[in-house]
Amino acid sequence: MRKSSPAVRLLALALVLAPLLTLAARPARAQEGQAGVDEMKKTALKVFLDCGDCDLEYIKTEITFVNYVRDRLEAQVHVLISTQGTGGGGVEYTLTFIGQNDFKDVKDLQKYYSNKTDTDDDIRRGLVKSLQLGLMSFVGRTPISRRIAVEYTPPQGSAEARDRWNSWVFSLSGDAYLSGEETYRSHMAYGSFSANRVTPGSKVRLGLSVDRAKQTYIVDEETITGTSKSWQASGLYVKSLGEHWSVGVSFDAESSLFSNVDLGLEVAPAVEYNFFPYAQCTRRQLRALYSLALNPVRYREETIFGKLRETLFKQELSLTLDLREKFGTISLSAEGSNYLHDLGKYRIDTFAIVNLRLYKGLSVYVLGGYSWYHDSQLSLLGREPTYEEQLLRLRELPMNSNHFFAVGFQFQFGSIFTNVINPRFGSTGGSGMNISIH
Amino acid sequence: MNRPRTAIAALLVTLAVLAATAAAQVPPPGPAGPPPPPKPKVFLDWPGGDPDFLRAEIPFVEFVSDLATAEVRVLVTPSGPAGSGSVSLAFTGLGPFRGDDNTLSYAPEPGASPEDAKKGLAGTIKLGLLRYAAKTPVAKDLTVKFLDQAKPTAVIDKWRQWVFGLSANAFLMGETQYRNGSYYASLSANRVTPEIKIRTQVYGNWSDYWFDLGDGTAYESATHGYGTSALAVKSLGEHWSVGGYVEAESSSYSNLDLALTAAPAVEYDVFPYSESTKRQLRILYRIGFTRARYSEETIYFKTAESLLQESLSFAYEVVRPWGKASVQVEGSHFFHNVKFNRLELEGELEFRIWRGLSFEIDGSYTRIRDQLALPAGGASYEEILLRQRQLATGYNYSFSAGFNFSFGSTRSNVVNPRFGNGGRSISISM
Repeated sequence: MRKSSPAVRLLALALVLAPLLTLAARPARAQEGQAGVDEMKKTALKVFLDCGDCDLEYIKTEITFVNYVRDRLEAQVHVLISTQGTGGGGVEYTLTFIGQNDFKDVKDLQKYYSNKTDTDDDIRRGLVKSLQLGLMSFVGRTPISRRIAVEYTPPQGSAEARDRWNSWVFSLSGDAYLSGEETYRSHMAYGSFSANRVTPGSKVRLGLSVDRAKQTYIVDEETITGTSKSWQASGLYVKSLGEHWSVGVSFDAESSLFSNVDLGLEVAPAVEYNFFPYAQCTRRQLRALYSLALNPVRYREETIFGKLRETLFKQELSLTLDLREKFGTISLSAEGSNYLHDLGKYRIDTFAIVNLRLYKGLSVYVLGGYSWYHDSQLSLLGREPTYEEQLLRLRELPMNSNHFFAVGFQFQFGSIFTNVINPRFGSTGGSGMNISIH
Repeated sequence: MNRPRTAIAALLVTLAVLAATAAAQVPPPGPAGPPPPPKPKVFLDWPGGDPDFLRAEIPFVEFVSDLATAEVRVLVTPSGPAGSGSVSLAFTGLGPFRGDDNTLSYAPEPGASPEDAKKGLAGTIKLGLLRYAAKTPVAKDLTVKFLDQAKPTAVIDKWRQWVFGLSANAFLMGETQYRNGSYYASLSANRVTPEIKIRTQVYGNWSDYWFDLGDGTAYESATHGYGTSALAVKSLGEHWSVGGYVEAESSSYSNLDLALTAAPAVEYDVFPYSESTKRQLRILYRIGFTRARYSEETIYFKTAESLLQESLSFAYEVVRPWGKASVQVEGSHFFHNVKFNRLELEGELEFRIWRGLSFEIDGSYTRIRDQLALPAGGASYEEILLRQRQLATGYNYSFSAGFNFSFGSTRSNVVNPRFGNGGRSISISM
């Protein structure tokens, strides 16, 4: 399928040559003028940029030798940009150039890596360069390519620095958020520290985070406050065993007012199998993970089962499917766990995101999750929560299930071109829907 | 601790230690695979070609004379009528570039001098080789430039840049004692060209809440907002724009049964609009007439009134290699009594101080003296806690500050997706 027949190639060549010959018939001078450039712009490459997090306005102002279209089927090249976190805390952007219509025989794949400390401007400039270079395989077949210059500045001779940190990355961050008016105040603070080492052969993640939130309401001169606080420490070690298998172990410690947990510890060895080779992970993954956990817990207040502390054994199996294709994004996961001391106490969580570009201009998304709790809320408060704790959702309540569900569609028609940037009176309120999963 | 637990704990510790030892034996791997070649090695398959000329024109590749050591093969074959100078160029990736193939063609313009034709052909070969160069360290030393300015509207478009959209969304969540549903729908028609911008939409949103209070009673409530809006802006050169807003709105949060507004406005950007993705300083003046009908009588004993309001705002935004900043100031007042006014300040700063250290601050403060729509009846206890009603206030603020400090191998590009990448987040924007 990938290789097109010689007849199609010939046809493509003829299509490419046709505008050239048309241009050739004009006086050479006219091409240098604005009219000539505008004429070339009409036959310029039609590009569909499939990227949730890119600064599209910037890209469109920097790369003007192509036409941008809002529908993938209209495009001659579909640029699918998928992202993944790198070991250094940056992002790997995989740019897949997929030729379509009369460019079916061309394809390419380029990568761009951002660093953790890059600013938005660094990232958008880097992405523009990768896009420009990748697009040239296609632009080279359009007449406008005659007006493109490539400059090469030989480097001043700096060698790659040796990595004296042996792949370790440390990160410390803190955030505070305050808001309020006369009768309402909300304060939140969050802090975290992490140390990670990611190599193709193994992965180590260590993290510590603390958060605290307080809401204050003044109702009839009475002050009502709602507080939530929690902290968490975690560690993960994963070893790679070939293209499909991995084994690892995780350590967790947490405290949460919402869940009535004063201190919960967990040690869990686990094994994972990916049905697709890990090398394809940016576009497709189907991972199955099984873990066995030992979990001693101390509660803040006596639970409905009359416990103040206990040690639990739990097993968990999860399945995750992530697909990123031309037609959209699919992500499904299911997770089941139960306690070994009483197999009837189980919990099942399911989660789905489907975002499809169905037909010209029409896209739909469905996202939802459903969880079943079968006597598995072992940490529930022994007492009834107060009215305010309930309205402000500060305490976990007994439940058999919970769910969230969202569905929507968007249909667009009219002009397929989205070349224009017009910042007057502000740029907000643009139409278009975008769902991105990180 | 009883015996089986101890045994399992011991087993876990052993496993962890084993895993750790296994890790220690693995030599620290460098970046995935062998390092990419410094420059792509190109074999030019063109009997009668001029390799020296190409070598000078295309300095970012290394031309080799042996196909065995090449990573790219460029096959140049004549095409079209004899003597026309038209050629077909087949690029074939070898070794590390296996599978990277492409075909381009080149035809000299009629009457072009042999020198021009030679240069033109070299230009096409250059473009074809960029995809390989992009995968080597040479990429960072390359710059692609478009020598002209083409109008973004120079396209064949029977819709004349009009785009129509229809969207509907529902969001539902619930558990045994709580349920919440939100629904949003909109219809839009937009036309954006460098000369004029037209945005129109009709929208509606509805939410309902249900709490089971446990003692056989439940608390239920619903909110809504809907309306229509239109904006038209005409460009007057690189700095000035004029336009106007027309809006109709109904909102249970704001106690508005129906408010109709018409507001002409004018804007001046101190910087040219063409630099908008890098910096802008926009000053917008707007004067608006509103006819409002309230759902409940207001604290000023009105059920309907006509209002005239003017506002002036300054918005400064800059995006630079060190980070980005924005500041916005807006003041407005009603004409029937200038005591009814509002002043809003908003700012944001993301700043990379030094390699791994960056700060982020944003905040806003609004001095509020114009809550004309507040209902005399006030809000219920539950409406206050769920923030479903606008409440009387003289100000509101929000402030957030954060920092991030990273050090170590922050330049590592390794991707390892095993056991997940540390949580997933979803964002939906419309």
